[in-house]
Amino acid sequence: MHISNRLFIRSEMKTSDIIISNPYLILVLEHLGINMEMHEKTISQICSEYKVSTELFLVIVNLFNGFNPSVATEYSSGNILTVINYLKNSHKYYLEEKYPEIQGYIEMINRINDHKEILMIGKFFEEYFEEVVEHLDYEDEVVFPYVLQLNEKLNLKVKSETITNYSVTEYKDHHDDIEEKLTDLYNLLLKYIPQKNDQQIRRKLILSLFELDYDLKIHSRIEETVLIPLVIKMEQLAAGLK
Amino acid sequence: MSTKAINIIIVETSDIICEGINSILINSGRSFNIISADNLRDIEQLNLKAKSDIVLINPLLIQNQLKEFHILKRELEHLKWIALVYTYFDNQILSVFDEIVYINDSSNKIISSLQKLSTTDRNENKNQSQETLSERETEVLKLLVTGNPNKLIADKLNISTHTVISHRKKISQKTGIKSVSGLTIYAVVNNILSIDDYRG
Repeated sequence: MHISNRLFIRSEMKTSDIIISNPYLILVLEHLGINMEMHEKTISQICSEYKVSTELFLVIVNLFNGFNPSVATEYSSGNILTVINYLKNSHKYYLEEKYPEIQGYIEMINRINDHKEILMIGKFFEEYFEEVVEHLDYEDEVVFPYVLQLNEKLNLKVKSETITNYSVTEYKDHHDDIEEKLTDLYNLLLKYIPQKNDQQIRRKLILSLFELDYDLKIHSRIEETVLIPLVIKMEQLAAGLK
Repeated sequence: MSTKAINIIIVETSDIICEGINSILINSGRSFNIISADNLRDIEQLNLKAKSDIVLINPLLIQNQLKEFHILKRELEHLKWIALVYTYFDNQILSVFDEIVYINDSSNKIISSLQKLSTTDRNENKNQSQETLSERETEVLKLLVTGNPNKLIADKLNISTHTVISHRKKISQKTGIKSVSGLTIYAVVNNILSIDDYRG
């Protein structure tokens, strides 16, 4: 059991209440495809409405609240699809929403603060984001198709179907730390880059970077504590089919 | 962000005591990751999941399992052990611990006992007292951000690669910046590198 001052979420709680206690969860729900009209519904009701396993839902939201899952997630085709869908939606959020937003803030600062360092910050963020994109592309092009293929194989109980020659252990190795540079960025923006009328936009930039950072951290926690163990299980099951 | 959390395992059967310690730690302003366990056996497992720094344990829970305790202590040699004492124990039992926390200790005393044992914390206190780079560190930084690998920096400054690495660690500790491209910006801001030298 983990203790923290944050709320440990249970299935009988009202969905709107858990969001009020930690507003970041609104993004988690969005990544899970759940929209904001949640009325008085409890978590179990929302989960059955959106056909998401309540156990898996609780694991993910509690990760966001700082708790590690105490039991491994059961393998089911539905769970795999939920996790992959979640991760894909978060990729979309980074690329289509966060990236242009942050870039926009840096451009705005650049317009009112002519210190050359701001240009360097822009370049630094570009470099960082390229690394993120590389990681996301790898997942979209290699990992997710592999997992979905494996899932299909297990569902149809096909024996002979040959699967891409790949194993999740490679994924583990590939899973390097892409968060370090964001910390560098906070430190530069807070301590060193000269300011010039850019207080408000810089604040927005830092908060936006923090949102990206938070979501990315949980994104990799979900991969490490939910997806990878699930795929290991699937690989064992698939080996049993042969 | 750069402050590293201290990982603590609390082994105690009373919820009231657990929650009390938890709230003292959270209110201290230091960052702690707290995990609770009911018995000695869980420690190894918990430590495997997330490497811990300190175990805070009620000596009652090791009293009848001294042998297991010593094995565990030997296996997990990086762990520091603190006794959490609220009834009488004889000194022989208490002597196996690195530190003792008494139930009547003030919050400040408890936090300082924990900090004393945490090496990560000691480093941080150091870097808070001196944040400006030393002359040598500035030289290393200048060579680093102009594209020299560690080996070349070592040759140019006539020091070992090992020393270069330890300077680099210090630089990152002091500035909070780890990547070379981040340090390049730092160097420009602080006039260690002129912007014309920066090839973007």
